[in-house]
Amino acid sequence: MSKHSDSEQKLERVLTQALEGLPLRRAPGTLEARVVNELERRAALPWWRVSFAHWPAAPRVAFVAVCVALVAATILGGVFAFVGDRSFNEAAALVLSWVHPFLAVVSSAGGVATLLVRIIPPLWLYGGMALGIMLYLALFGLGAAAYRTLYLRPSSVGDDL
Amino acid sequence: MRAYQDMVFSTAARLAGNDTQAEDIAQEVFIRAYEHFSDLRTSVTAGGWLKTVTTNLTLNYLNRYRKRWRLFSEMRPASEDSDAEAPEMEWEIPDTILAELGAEQRCAIVDAALRQLPDHQRLPLVLYHFEDLSYQEIAIKLNVSLTKIKTDIRRARAALLPLLQNGGAARDTLDG
Repeated sequence: MSKHSDSEQKLERVLTQALEGLPLRRAPGTLEARVVNELERRAALPWWRVSFAHWPAAPRVAFVAVCVALVAATILGGVFAFVGDRSFNEAAALVLSWVHPFLAVVSSAGGVATLLVRIIPPLWLYGGMALGIMLYLALFGLGAAAYRTLYLRPSSVGDDL
Repeated sequence: MRAYQDMVFSTAARLAGNDTQAEDIAQEVFIRAYEHFSDLRTSVTAGGWLKTVTTNLTLNYLNRYRKRWRLFSEMRPASEDSDAEAPEMEWEIPDTILAELGAEQRCAIVDAALRQLPDHQRLPLVLYHFEDLSYQEIAIKLNVSLTKIKTDIRRARAALLPLLQNGGAARDTLDG
């Protein structure tokens, strides 16, 4: 076993002896009063100001029922507004009529991208990608530097050990 | 509450390294205990329940502020977490420390020294030495690697030793 490992084991043993059997810290005398005051304050709140889990059963059930009704009304209202007095086939055709232009736009965008790749010299493309990566890394580095400068305590005990 | 308030406060204070935060956490622990009063009143494990809730609430409290920085804090070079790269301790390790002091004096010196450690060293050290958790359990609780836990605890011990020695020496001088 190395001298390094021996010294670590000795340090652990010495600190264990120093730390074991320490008495508890005495809680501040104000703690009990603080807890009682906070409990009284929370108890005095009306039920709608506390979290849903602590609501009385009747309002909870009513709230859930209202929410379900609202969601159902919204969905059904949307469906009826969309379908109206059309037949199912007419409604489906209306939906599909939106899909075709969308696909055409996607296809056109793809065509433009392909054309750009052909027109722009590859060196420019690689340069642009490299620039993007460099900017990303620079931003990441700035974030790390800001963290080390602004957040880490410079004199954290033991960090330099 | 009176039977457990010192235990709850001590656990929170040693983990958080801050008495004001510890008092806030202890207050929240007892409010939660009040909400579970019917279960805890007759439970023989009420003390364990309170200790677990205190530990978890303290870790949550501290986590809230460090989570956003975790990404960067784990960007340190791998060598910093490596056992092989751990520096040699440059001072002589005594056979005992603070042994000549009474429990209250030892407690004051240890708590003052713990407050000077950074969170990432104090938390695993306290969980290991005061809460009797294993390295593996601490790694899971703090959601960091086992290697990092071992390194942080080793560094925390190395940092704590001179603080305790200085604290003990200062106390001896005052007493003398």
